[in-house]
Amino acid sequence: MSGGLRLALPGGALFEDACRLLSDAGVADIDASRFDRQLKIATPTATVVKVRPTDVPVYVEMGACDAGIVGKDILWESPRDCYELVDLHFGACRLVLGAPQGSPLAEGRFPQSLRAATKYPIAARRFFDSLGLAVELIKLHGSVELAPAMGLADCVVDITATGRTLIANHLVEVAEAGRSTARLISNQASLKTRSEAVNQLAAALRRTVTAGTATGSGP
Amino acid sequence: MSALQSPARGRAGGFADWIGAAAQRRRVVTEAFVDTFAAWGYEYLSTPLVEPLETVAAGVGGGLQAQLFRFMDADGSLLALVGERTVSVARVVSTQLQGVRTPLRLCYAGPVLFNRPPLGGRRREAMQAGCELIGHPGLSADAECIAVAAAALERAGVTGVQIDVGHADFVPSLLDSANLDAESRGRVADALRGRDLVAVEEALRGTEAGDAERELLLAFPTLRGGREILDTAGARISDPRPQRVLADLAELWDVLDRHGITASVHLDLGAVRDWDYYTGPTFELFSADLGFPLGAGGRYDRLLAAFGADAPATGFVLHVDRCCDALLRGSGQNGKVEALRLGYSAERAGEAPALAARLRQAGVAVALELEPTARRREEPVVEGMARLDDDGAVLWRYRGEEGSGVEALLAAHARGAL
Repeated sequence: MSGGLRLALPGGALFEDACRLLSDAGVADIDASRFDRQLKIATPTATVVKVRPTDVPVYVEMGACDAGIVGKDILWESPRDCYELVDLHFGACRLVLGAPQGSPLAEGRFPQSLRAATKYPIAARRFFDSLGLAVELIKLHGSVELAPAMGLADCVVDITATGRTLIANHLVEVAEAGRSTARLISNQASLKTRSEAVNQLAAALRRTVTAGTATGSGP
Repeated sequence: MSALQSPARGRAGGFADWIGAAAQRRRVVTEAFVDTFAAWGYEYLSTPLVEPLETVAAGVGGGLQAQLFRFMDADGSLLALVGERTVSVARVVSTQLQGVRTPLRLCYAGPVLFNRPPLGGRRREAMQAGCELIGHPGLSADAECIAVAAAALERAGVTGVQIDVGHADFVPSLLDSANLDAESRGRVADALRGRDLVAVEEALRGTEAGDAERELLLAFPTLRGGREILDTAGARISDPRPQRVLADLAELWDVLDRHGITASVHLDLGAVRDWDYYTGPTFELFSADLGFPLGAGGRYDRLLAAFGADAPATGFVLHVDRCCDALLRGSGQNGKVEALRLGYSAERAGEAPALAARLRQAGVAVALELEPTARRREEPVVEGMARLDDDGAVLWRYRGEEGSGVEALLAAHARGAL
């Protein structure tokens, strides 16, 4: 395969930081704005594609890309057979349990039965299991904060970077259920058949992240 | 309702029809594998597609059990469609081949099925062919399995194969010698099993793990290479158990060298495999053209004991469909066989079947035309066609050559077959 590694980048909040990191690390000199017009850019060192964040693990697991950058929160919900190589530290956010202000749960008292609305059912299930709580999960696809206000659920398990959305919806954070940052993932065969290139990629990104030149501040 | 929407014309998601060249390739690859196994002295056996759930469960881990097609027998007992075939071979060995002289060399080929969500791009039916070498505990048996697998892929035309050889006890023995408390050990092992290096790093942080072990566990994707990495790793380890693993791999390497295949072998100390199932050397086969392993195997000395026949065993499986995908991506020939169409004039129709038989006997695939072809001598024959004309002449174009006469055609076939 010519043209170096095939890399999948997630569109959305992590995209610009991911492009900057690849450029800073000398992996592929790409400017995020070039992807306004096309989804695939071939540089002399790598072929880079922009896909939906949830599709990054699919491209990588199926071997359509050798490696990809994706938020840990995406990996929680799509368990795919990939190697997770490096914590890239940008795109930091937290998965939290949020409850309406003034509710018993907001004061840390867990009621007998609980319904939680979430976009992250797998991570939420793991969190509640670790607490020994049998919670009924309601999977939603967006605006999870609305669910308690409308009586759909007692609480939410959702991603927050700043906490502003919780406050705006009169929710308070009860507990942290997980922390997410961007990760470098690799296809299982690419790690073996292109091991030198993949390990060099991992080392270059790790170096750049550690040196702090990638100052991505997250969404 | 249109014809395309009719339920009778549907196909279950995650399953495929195999037609034309794809079907031919799948059959040819399967046969190349089984022929290779036979050439190495492996006896073919055929086991059912359905097994009792508890039999199948003995072979696959808890996680995979949820991915089996399960259903109920008339008496209420649970059955499953097989998700792999080693466990069926183990069942046969422990019941019907008790007392047979070992080592036993057995091979199989057949479909396996998984009940996983159909839209993930992962197929739910796969063709697998494999070998099991039962009753010998030594590294020569492990080396033979690796050599057979490599030979089978070569015979099927899959080129550029890379073989990664590891050992199921290396990482566990490192974990045991790393001075970790039970909880940290569990977390590191889970992270390694999940192929999550970030989590390995987190789990090791703040533990009492020795520097050498910590470094080796963190470096695991890079712990690959030729025989020299055994010395590199050995120099950093003092504990006898991982040292014993390294010595085993060194000896295995030497046997593989005698089989002449070390040029495509990488030793991979960080190989993440099912440590509860495998007990010794393990291996995976890769092609640069595919994102999944073409095959995998290893020593599994505990499985037969689960069936009451305590015997050491090693073996491997090749994924036929993945090998076909790799062939299709262009690393090898595509395995398609074109039949020669044999036409004939009305006057010579009586001789045509005998001529076809003669060609077939020489190994030419022949499709005899069902009606006499019009006698138009001025019309040239096309590629892939031979014609028996009124005057008894046989004109043909075959495999890019052109000529007349049966002898010349057979000669062209022999040249092409080389």
